Amino acid sequence: MLDTSPAEVAGPPTTSLPPQVGALRDCVRTFAQERLRPEVQRLDRADAADFDWDLVAEGHRLGLTRLVISRAHGGLGHGELGVAVALEELAAVDAGFALVFGATMLGQAPLLLSGDPALQARFLPLFSGDEPVLACNAITEELAGCDLLIPENAQYALDVMRARRDGDHYLLDGAKKFITNGRVATYATVFANIEGNPGASALTCFVVPLDSPGVELGAVADKMGYRTCLGTEMTFRGVRVPAENVIGGEGGGVVINVQQMNMARAAVAAISTGVARGALDLARQWCGERIQGGVPLYRHQFTARKLAEMSTKVDAARLLYLRAAHLADTEIPAPAYEPAVAKLFADRIAVEVAEEAMSLMGARGYVRDWGMEKYLREALGARIYEGTPEVLALAITESMYATDDDF
Amino acid sequence: MPAYTSREQAVSVFSQLFEIMLEDDAFRAIVRDEALSVRFVHTEPDFELYVDAEGVRVDGPAAPTTLAIKMSCDTADALWNGRLLMPIAVATGRIRIKGSVARVIEFVPLLRPAFDRYPALAAAAGVPTSA
Ligand SMILES: Cc1cc2nc3c(=O)[nH]c(=O)nc-3n(C[C@H](O)[C@H](O)[C@H](O)COP(=O)(O)OP(=O)(O)OC[C@H]3O[C@@H](n4cnc5c(N)ncnc54)[C@H](O)[C@@H]3O)c2cc1C
Repeated sequence: MLDTSPAEVAGPPTTSLPPQVGALRDCVRTFAQERLRPEVQRLDRADAADFDWDLVAEGHRLGLTRLVISRAHGGLGHGELGVAVALEELAAVDAGFALVFGATMLGQAPLLLSGDPALQARFLPLFSGDEPVLACNAITEELAGCDLLIPENAQYALDVMRARRDGDHYLLDGAKKFITNGRVATYATVFANIEGNPGASALTCFVVPLDSPGVELGAVADKMGYRTCLGTEMTFRGVRVPAENVIGGEGGGVVINVQQMNMARAAVAAISTGVARGALDLARQWCGERIQGGVPLYRHQFTARKLAEMSTKVDAARLLYLRAAHLADTEIPAPAYEPAVAKLFADRIAVEVAEEAMSLMGARGYVRDWGMEKYLREALGARIYEGTPEVLALAITESMYATDDDF
Repeated sequence: MPAYTSREQAVSVFSQLFEIMLEDDAFRAIVRDEALSVRFVHTEPDFELYVDAEGVRVDGPAAPTTLAIKMSCDTADALWNGRLLMPIAVATGRIRIKGSVARVIEFVPLLRPAFDRYPALAAAAGVPTSA
């Protein structure tokens, strides 16, 4: 297990990381390169519903399931910066494996935000046991996708999962879709609308143990990438949830969700940066070895230009996510602008870099055994969750026109 | 109507609140052991409280603190009275915090006893209960 204490960051870590974060990065990099990499082809080709608990258990032993949990609850007390650099390392090898832990942290975030010692004491120590415990965050539904992520559109969301007060409990009815870890999590943070309110205008966040009667775990989506993590359908039929499991009160769901996204987007940007870096590493190696026209590919000026552009994009994406993570670690509420900018840019360059890297490998880039085309499939994934480019654009322009004081 | 009609009234209630909190051995021990210092920036009426293991100071020198927490006195009243939930207050920016978020996550649950103590303090100072 890592022995790290929380990062006290003095300024945006543009050139060097705080020592604790650097130690975390080195440890996760070694794990990703030495332990995860040899398994990647197998993980990518496995059936959609296969889940490698043994590898996840190794990640758990490194502390990846409890990075953001405070030391008082048995965690490592890292912030978004630690999370982001760790997820970049994992995603440079396998984005789906990174998201297993990213989704768990999303399920932990509302509990951390709650400031509720009783709720925290019930759920957070679960992650410090010998066996791996995962969480998930359940928002997306069949008819309500981005409408649940754009606050102004919550009112238009169709047929949202319902919550009805019943004495000192709530009854949840509805279904969720594409929920990462839904099949393998111990509990979910679930967003449901209080009955009688239009759309998702009274969206509310519930912590729901997944062994509760009435929870049914359905099909796992057969995704084109991110195959190491499971995106699951979850149905809730009259699931009784105690009122003390509500975070942020009735109708608090939209703001909790926005805050959660603002905290998480730096980490998703780091995942995209990792995917781009992984593709670039492979292309760099190939272009150094492959001889055409009598010289290694990188000596051809067209190729050199491409590699230089790709490297510049990866560096810029990393700087943007480091800035965003630094702000998310030092300001509450987490800012909307910098994490959205970081994610928009990193998601875009991941696709560009992976596509370019693939073309630099010629036919081999198109063949699964060489491991390159997987980066392109995974680059396309992060453009969907935690804000599509369109959702991010709305968050960015909203911030561009906001006024603020200088606190 | 604002909860607080004068600066003196607000200073008195909020400084008493944190003095009482510091009388609690467990709270004071954590503040001391973790070397926590918090600058509460209250607005409308405007004043600042500095809270650390040494005690509570009003408008003290602006020494660097571990955390700075800014909110209006109305927000503070709604918060400590339980009408405004902490996660909503922070997520909507009615409460804004600067400092290590990891420390905030550890610190906020420690404030729980303030929710029990505040209503009586405010009532004794003549703050309307439904402000
Ligand atoms: C790998 C992966 C992991 C995921 N994990 C989770 C998870 O753990 N939990 C969870 O809840 N969900 C998860 N999702 C689901 C994801 O969050 C949603 O797919 C996403 O929010 C988009 O919703 P949708 O698919 O219904 O698309 P839609 O909302 O139908 O959007 C379709 C298109 O329309 C655009 N669009 C929608 N509204 C607007 C608008 N107002 N203005 C402009 N354009 C608009 C979108 O940008 C998009 O391009 C995951 C998805 C993937 C791919």
